[in-house]
Amino acid sequence: MLARVKSKWTYLVIAALLAFSILIPFDWFLGQYTVLMIFIGIFTMVTVGLCLLMGYTGQVSLGQAAFYGMGAYFSAILSKTYSVNPWLAMMMAAAATGAFAYVIGYPFFRLRGNYLAVATLGLGVIIHILLRQLGPGGPDGMAGIPYLSIGGFAFDNYFKRYFLVWFFCLATLFISQNIVRSRTGRALRAIHGSEAAAESIGINVDQFKVKIFALSAVYASLAGSLFAHNMAHISPSTFDPMASVVIVVMAVIGGLASIWGAIFGAATVAILKYELLLGFGEWDIVVYGLILMLVMIFMPEGLFVGLRELFGRWRLRYAQRGAEP
Amino acid sequence: MSESILETKGLSKAFGGLLALDKVDLAIEAGTITAIIGPNGAGKTTLFNLITGVYPASDGQILFQCTPLKDASSHKRAALGIARTFQNVLLFGNMTVLENIMTGQHTRSRYGFLGAALRFPRARREEEAISLNAMKYLNMVGLGIKAQHNALSLPLGQQKLLAIARALATEPKLLLLDEPGAGLNALEKRELSDLIRRIRETGISIVLVEHDMPLVMGLAEWVVVLDSGQKIAEGTAAQIQKDQRVISAYLGEEVE
Amino acid sequence: MSADQFLQYLISGLTIGSIYALVGLGFTIIYAVTRIINFAQGEFVMLGGMLSFYLISSVGVPLAPALILSVLIAAMIGAIMYTLAIRTARRASVISLIIITIGAAVFFRGIAGEVFPWGVDFVRPPYFTGGESISFLGAYIHPQALWIIGTTLVVTVLLHLFLSYTMVGKALKACAISPVAAGMVGIDARAMALIAFVLAATFGAIGGVVMAPLTLTSYNVGFMLGLKGFVAASIGGFKSPIATVIGGLTLGIVMSLAVGVDWGPFSSAYKDAIAMIVLLLILLIRSGRLAEEERAS
Repeated sequence: MLARVKSKWTYLVIAALLAFSILIPFDWFLGQYTVLMIFIGIFTMVTVGLCLLMGYTGQVSLGQAAFYGMGAYFSAILSKTYSVNPWLAMMMAAAATGAFAYVIGYPFFRLRGNYLAVATLGLGVIIHILLRQLGPGGPDGMAGIPYLSIGGFAFDNYFKRYFLVWFFCLATLFISQNIVRSRTGRALRAIHGSEAAAESIGINVDQFKVKIFALSAVYASLAGSLFAHNMAHISPSTFDPMASVVIVVMAVIGGLASIWGAIFGAATVAILKYELLLGFGEWDIVVYGLILMLVMIFMPEGLFVGLRELFGRWRLRYAQRGAEP
Repeated sequence: MSESILETKGLSKAFGGLLALDKVDLAIEAGTITAIIGPNGAGKTTLFNLITGVYPASDGQILFQCTPLKDASSHKRAALGIARTFQNVLLFGNMTVLENIMTGQHTRSRYGFLGAALRFPRARREEEAISLNAMKYLNMVGLGIKAQHNALSLPLGQQKLLAIARALATEPKLLLLDEPGAGLNALEKRELSDLIRRIRETGISIVLVEHDMPLVMGLAEWVVVLDSGQKIAEGTAAQIQKDQRVISAYLGEEVE
Repeated sequence: MSADQFLQYLISGLTIGSIYALVGLGFTIIYAVTRIINFAQGEFVMLGGMLSFYLISSVGVPLAPALILSVLIAAMIGAIMYTLAIRTARRASVISLIIITIGAAVFFRGIAGEVFPWGVDFVRPPYFTGGESISFLGAYIHPQALWIIGTTLVVTVLLHLFLSYTMVGKALKACAISPVAAGMVGIDARAMALIAFVLAATFGAIGGVVMAPLTLTSYNVGFMLGLKGFVAASIGGFKSPIATVIGGLTLGIVMSLAVGVDWGPFSSAYKDAIAMIVLLLILLIRSGRLAEEERAS
């Protein structure tokens, strides 16, 4: 196992961030941003899945909102209409969505690049229409979705749900990190490096691509379920094809194959959506379009990753200059 | 007669109208070093690709340890014990030298997504074993000090050694080397020969495609000559050097 | 469904299918020459229609000049898009190019929704030659529909002549067959790519200009039109303009009949889902062929 030595400073920074984050939802601190932070946490979960998928298979999915919507609707219907325990509903939704993604993954991933992207776009359209036509409440959506609860303790206000969502979000990030640093992660990186070489050392490339696709669907589904149990009301328009594009925007900002960068991507979009561009009509999608184009033209590995590398090179040059007499 | 580790019977491969391999019969003896030589376009890499399952044969059979391979996919053949290196190396540029070799241990380890995600004890034990084995192969090819370097930061000669170490990590019974000596200087070629002999000592059968004649003649116990997709000769290195058909294949003259 | 109704649905299918065909031609040209799928293709259709309405109603330009000007402006936008977004990305990966063209599509859509004075509402430019439907064999065909179908046929024929008989057209075809070989005989790949984008934008805009009076237009029609044009292009294998046109017309007829049947899922609400299922089926069928091409290269 490769040892990672962390300096004392890193631990200090992490501790400070942790303390800061715990205090955010308090009214006397930054309480007015609690809802925003909840959205950032949920968006991060969806984004990480896509970052991993794009980073390790080199393929784009333009239909992640379909899985996000499936997670939201399955969990909502199970817990409200069938009175299933919301936790169980969430897990069942994740399992169903993941299985669905796994099954369609094989035929989908026989397509390459462009064609796979269009196929996922088509999937997004189909699921959106199905949710709109067959979902309870039709285009207006459904309300009265029960909150998650442990025993008698219900997550019935934003303060409590902040911690719930961020628990799941951080768990997702840590699990993703574990996967990337493992045998599975090496196999994924190998596929990204050279598919031919990966096959030659025994990696079933097709199966791995489908598995990571299914994983991204599970992440999106969990995020969708949390969204449903947070908002208590969902409607199909949240899960339209444009939402899939916004997820791509977050992943592009966060960086392909990036895990912690996903927070950066989710935060940027959430702040744009709910703070800066609220009430500006369609200007938000103009900004999204510009971000997509500019980032992919100038930093194709993603904004966060690109900035990190830029910063690293800048520090190197600065250090070298200091070493000169 | 020693058991053959690999046999091909009437193996053919056509790409559209082009017949790249034409009814080739081979028998590779276990524990030996065999060389496949021939002018450019003779079908040597095609032969490797068929053996490793990159694409299916148009006709004929491949038997590995006396069992037909049929349509087994590429990654399954690696699990069975057939490993290879590529002409254009194909290292994993997004990993360190050691990680490249550790990835080679993929088929000899088992833990999956769940074990990785939650860091089960079995996963952690397997990771330790993978690390240790990888270091072993790294040292075997003499690249121990480069363990943490990025794979692509190595000079070409060392990259080729890394590729061999990665293939060795799959714990193969048969190792196919595609032009391992290309681009190497004389010293590197001598080290390569030593390495190949050491690999053979561990019981692995080796087949190499090479253009460097002195390298081949010094190493190979058996030489097979291909030209235009057909096997035109085989024998010991000494026999091949004197074979009239082989000489004219390389020089392009007609056989009298 | 009676024979009259069938004919009616056939006519409307041919009409909308002609638009799909034009969009599909745009996809095909760009893909054949550059191997890029231009996800912004549908937006050129939207821009054509929106610009024509703007010029006619807000600026007061007479009909014919407004139509021509709309197409020219859209063609220019196509050129700018190629020069600024595609060419600067140079050795970009497939996934990068996909995201770039999606970014452009979304950008055009947003701008269209904000910059025009009517915002996100639907608008309808005037008919070219009047608004009375013509009776035909028991069904009705609107003059604008005739314009749509006619224009598509003319464009297809002109394209065919252009590709077969002009130097530039033949150079484009050469690029489509082999970019490397084309480069070796002195064909400038970047100039060809620019021409491809301009042509695609032009076709899309023509489609938009000619359809807007009949189907109305607004800032977000580009998305589904683009997808359906993509279906047409995939039927044509991204190679043959004729097959693309046939594909577009077929898709239009299939969808029109599916909606006309109005039974179960075959209804107006699901029509886009039906189109997408057709898309997935075609991609699935073609995936075998695509996988073979991949392995051969």
